[in-house]
Amino acid sequence: MTDLNAGSFAVLGLFDSPDALMAAIPRVRARALGRLEAYTPYPVHGLDEALGLRRSPLGGMVLVMGVLGVVAALVFQGWLSAVDYPLVTGGKAPSSWQAFVPIMFEIMVLFATFTAGLGMLLLLNRLPYFGHPVLQSRAIRGITRDRFALAVEADGGLDPAAAASARSALEAAGALDIEVLPEPAAGPLFTAEGIQRTLAAIVAACVGAGMLMYWAVKLMPVLPPMSHILEQPRLNPQAPSTFFRDGHGMQLPVPGTVARGFLPFPARTPEAAAGMVNPLPVTRAVLARGRSEYQVRCAVCHGALGDGVPTLTAAYGAKPANLLAPANLALSDGRIYGTIVLGKNAMPSYAADLAEDDRWAVVHYVRALQRAQHAKDEDLP
Amino acid sequence: MNSAAASPSAPLPDNLRAPALTVGRVTPGSLDDQILAFPERMPPRKWYIAVACTGTVMTLGLAMIGYTLFTGIGAWGNNSPVFWAFDIINFVFWVGIGHAGTLISAILFIFRKRWRNAIARFAEAMTIFAVMCAGLFPLIHVGRPWLAFWLAPYPNQRGLWTNFRSPLLWDVFAVSTYFAVSAMFWYLGLLPDLASLRDRTESRIRKPIYTLLSLGWRGSASHWQHFEKAYLLLAGLATGLVLSVHSVVSFDFATSVVPGWHMTIFPPYFVVGAIFAGFAMVVMVLIVVRESMDLKNLITDFHLEVMNKVILGMSCLMGYSYVVEAFTAWYSQNSILQHTFLNYISGTYGWAGWLTICCNVLVPQLLWIRYCRRSYPWMILVALAVTVGMWFERFCIIVISLHQDYLPSAWHNYRPTLVDYGVLLGSFGIFFTLVLLFARVLPVIATTELKATLPGAQPSHGAGHGAASGGPHD
Repeated sequence: MTDLNAGSFAVLGLFDSPDALMAAIPRVRARALGRLEAYTPYPVHGLDEALGLRRSPLGGMVLVMGVLGVVAALVFQGWLSAVDYPLVTGGKAPSSWQAFVPIMFEIMVLFATFTAGLGMLLLLNRLPYFGHPVLQSRAIRGITRDRFALAVEADGGLDPAAAASARSALEAAGALDIEVLPEPAAGPLFTAEGIQRTLAAIVAACVGAGMLMYWAVKLMPVLPPMSHILEQPRLNPQAPSTFFRDGHGMQLPVPGTVARGFLPFPARTPEAAAGMVNPLPVTRAVLARGRSEYQVRCAVCHGALGDGVPTLTAAYGAKPANLLAPANLALSDGRIYGTIVLGKNAMPSYAADLAEDDRWAVVHYVRALQRAQHAKDEDLP
Repeated sequence: MNSAAASPSAPLPDNLRAPALTVGRVTPGSLDDQILAFPERMPPRKWYIAVACTGTVMTLGLAMIGYTLFTGIGAWGNNSPVFWAFDIINFVFWVGIGHAGTLISAILFIFRKRWRNAIARFAEAMTIFAVMCAGLFPLIHVGRPWLAFWLAPYPNQRGLWTNFRSPLLWDVFAVSTYFAVSAMFWYLGLLPDLASLRDRTESRIRKPIYTLLSLGWRGSASHWQHFEKAYLLLAGLATGLVLSVHSVVSFDFATSVVPGWHMTIFPPYFVVGAIFAGFAMVVMVLIVVRESMDLKNLITDFHLEVMNKVILGMSCLMGYSYVVEAFTAWYSQNSILQHTFLNYISGTYGWAGWLTICCNVLVPQLLWIRYCRRSYPWMILVALAVTVGMWFERFCIIVISLHQDYLPSAWHNYRPTLVDYGVLLGSFGIFFTLVLLFARVLPVIATTELKATLPGAQPSHGAGHGAASGGPHD
């Protein structure tokens, strides 16, 4: 290690007080060939000037990034809140920027802090760097404790003559211990093999993370408690239930229950209902209602015009009544109503499908169809 | 420092001289041997007992949190209209606790208060742990924390963006920035200490860990130059954070229309309260640390006294804030606001209001007495009172204001459940467990910073007043 003929990175002298270090700097500087660098356990006043270090550019970097943070936060929030997704809150204009100030401030601080911290470490101080010769030296144990080191360094390596003169200069300046540091080995990160390994590790990490994400996305929603949103205290139709004695989730109404619009119908035959009177007035709304129900329930057999020509296929076999036939023209409203409720021949009862008012509206509409197909001159407006 | 004024021929009288910040002879080497030896030794028996206690409480709290996640936040006492209760009280409380550390590391750094050096590391660690505890509460309060990422403005298939005019979103940004910045600050300060640990240790396990964590720090003069600049910039930026984070938290309340929340005094009132509660917690923890780790030579009575003075000052400001609240209620001639204010002192929860006033304003007045500022029992009494008082202050602000607002038909009393108490207790368990772990794993005192301010640590520019010269940053 002390062989001066081999290439060396630095000659390092150790001092035991800041005063000794400060006194040594000008003396070594006058004689040594190479860059002077000091290593201290804590920042020592006046060392920057003594070593002739340039001012740290960190302040400017932080200023630029801080301003960038403010602008980025303003543009981001403004674009999102006023352009891409205009959201009016509290009656403010979409472009009102005052509400963006808190987040602008936070982003400014975030950008600026990380520039200060990471910029200092990574850019200016070039850390992490585990291969620096000083870290492998004997002196480092003292440097991070209570000793002060002054080093004469050169990036390309000190030639033996320079190393020898540095050594004698440090000796003359009163260094307690002198150490010659070898050239740093090439950083393991920057060899071809190191780069390959790093890339492989990054790819492996990405693949691993991707698989984890895939399973997380797949599994997360079906695991409790995430799945609790699917479990709702609700009984689906036809589902069993232990609540009722018969085990059915769906229950019949209590006997004697009368639904609105479905009063019990006393007549046993359509003829028995012939005397009933249509309670609805003939209005545009009632006829529209009747037409709608007719077209849904009746037209499929009796035809859209009521002429008994069905849209139903002939294979059905039944022969629906022609509502326009003279016999049917003569039927009373109550008789038609009774047929709707009770059904006739192949026609089933529509009592469950049509409420009372709907049935009477259909009766009105059937009358309108009959009149339309047998219109007289005075029916024209 | 002011070297021109201090003429060497006329020494300052003793009562004008800055008090010594260390007791006995402390050298850089002895400091390392004292502080950096802790992580190298096995902890004493009482440490294990303490960790067992706090760990039990933490586990209890985590179990309660797990129960909440599994059953939903119906497990808590929150109701309509008291939609915010223990969850947000605890959040505000813990964010506040963190503020002392940031104040010590940022504002006192800029004001060149050298007594901060010995306590800064611990206070900063407490900041980080407190913000971790605080962050827990909004997270579990959303009910489905696995969807909490919806708070982040990222392009999503729902085609929605977050509402940037909502103070709740400001809060998300403020608290996460606060955590990131505090962590960065803490780590930068730790870096040279980790390098010292790396070069001390013989352990085959610790050496690589410290090597990795210290990033190959070697203490070169050019590195120190950038480091100091970065530290100064961070302190300046964090100063803004001390003032902004709790202001933004107060906006959660102040920008709403709830009577008792809609007040312009809220931001400064919250910031003062945060520093107040934070210092009380720092005093309590430091007393324990100083006694159990034998740090009396570095954390002196003077340190405790100065912190108690800060507590006293903040207590007076709290009293002023309460008076302003009362004045606002009276002067507004708004009957609803007046009703809310009377609720603080005479309603269902009037006892909480009086407890707040007693603990935060009356008890700390003891600290006017020098004896109390230097006596453990008295300062612990005050610190405990402040911690309790500040928690109940947030209880008053949140629960009392919410439980009776404009619509009497919606009024409803609030009663916390056992789960609420469990989660609150658990957050203390988490905090103190982390504090205990930190105390044994990392240097509890910023040795590098302290070394730079020891007598003789800086070059004496020929005048022989090295002992009086200031820190590395003077």
